Amino acid sequence: MMRMFRSEWMKLRRTVIWALAVISPLLAGVTGFLSAGDYENGQEGVWQIALGIMGLLHAMLFLPLLTGVFAALLCRFEHTGGGWKQLLALPVSRSSVYAVKFIYIMLLLAITQLLFLAALLATGLLLGFAEPIPWRMLLVSALGGWLACLPLAALQLAVSVAWSSFAAPLAVNVIFTIPNILIINSAQYGPYYPWAQPLLAMVPRDEMGFGAFNLSPETLLGVILVSFVVFLLGGWGYFIRKAV
Amino acid sequence: MRGILASELLKIRGKMVWFLVVLGPVGVILLQAVNFGLRYDYLTDQYADDLWGGLIGNVVTLALPTLLIGIAILASMAAGIEHQTNAWKQLLALPVSRSAVFAGKALLHVLLLFVSCTLMLIGTLALGFVLGFDAGAIPYGRLAELVYYPFLAALPLMVLQVWLSITMANQAVPLTVGIIGMIVGMFGSRFDDWVPYKWPHLINAAGEPLYSVACGIGLGVVLLLIGMLQFAGKDVK
Repeated sequence: MMRMFRSEWMKLRRTVIWALAVISPLLAGVTGFLSAGDYENGQEGVWQIALGIMGLLHAMLFLPLLTGVFAALLCRFEHTGGGWKQLLALPVSRSSVYAVKFIYIMLLLAITQLLFLAALLATGLLLGFAEPIPWRMLLVSALGGWLACLPLAALQLAVSVAWSSFAAPLAVNVIFTIPNILIINSAQYGPYYPWAQPLLAMVPRDEMGFGAFNLSPETLLGVILVSFVVFLLGGWGYFIRKAV
Repeated sequence: MRGILASELLKIRGKMVWFLVVLGPVGVILLQAVNFGLRYDYLTDQYADDLWGGLIGNVVTLALPTLLIGIAILASMAAGIEHQTNAWKQLLALPVSRSAVFAGKALLHVLLLFVSCTLMLIGTLALGFVLGFDAGAIPYGRLAELVYYPFLAALPLMVLQVWLSITMANQAVPLTVGIIGMIVGMFGSRFDDWVPYKWPHLINAAGEPLYSVACGIGLGVVLLLIGMLQFAGKDVK
């Protein structure tokens, strides 16, 4: 298993994939910094407001869509030039190939989330927020957003493995992510929509809470878990039977 | 040129491209149907003076991001056909000029999005009828403006995505540029007037939507010519 990690690492080194992890945190950081007028410095909960502004930009569309780009990129090397046949002809099990690719998606997303956290901290320090850093809230937000990407990553890996075109899996991703713009306003349906979960998990609920945001963490975790298991088992079951 | 466009149309058959061209507008209209269906009383009350205007406004808020990301996905799909099969050399070995090949891809792209935008217009009308809005009060002019003006103002973005998708073998880059464009474009109304991502919003200092459209067409043509020149001198794999 360790060796497979290393072989995947060799494929990823010096590709654009690393640049992609930086973009969204950078964009969110710039927006957070430019929104300086929105937080009066002495005000209470200034970190929360910053997290709300930056999290909305980062997690409503970017994070779910980026998950799809990562998944498609991880399969690109195999889709071009008959790589699947070559890879699966080696003495490795299909399940571990699938598992390693999935773990890499989550790893790249973890890096993205850490960079987002760094961007948020940098914004606060540069603007000189008077409040102490609410570590617990920030970590829960970053970690929650990361966990909420689990089902999305599982589905995107499945469609990325299935289609050799790069844009097609991304189209699936976009089709399900665009409704976020409407659905997050709905307290009734938003909590049960897997693609809205990264945003719901990342934006602090007491301050910016509207629409779907006022829901217990247990419900959200349940939705994430159930959809994750369904997508992962479906994708894995498909891949181990797939003719390459 | 007609031959090139015909061959481009042939190549995208069975590639899910037309499916997406239809799905974009149908998806937006269906979402708005659900939106209006669930909150019919609230929304019709809110837009009581101008039911059609309210509907069009709601459609546009979803249509703009869909248009922007659709531009990126369709461009990548059309160029991906040659990338995946390593067919650029073969295509360019044919007795056609390189600039014509580039123009063909761009023309195909504009055509696909025109079809998509037209479906959006028809869908909005259909949804209005289904919701029982007064057929006599349809603001045809405003409806056409809100569908075709953003389309024309987005021409430079279309050429940009076609150019990126053709020049880069790794489609992650053009698609990520498209994703950034969609998110930046959604908040585009806050930018200065010169930023092309603001133009599809049709907002400018002069308060005249046609300025945004004119800028879009102008820059679109300039970028197309630059792209054709650049592609003519490019090495392909």
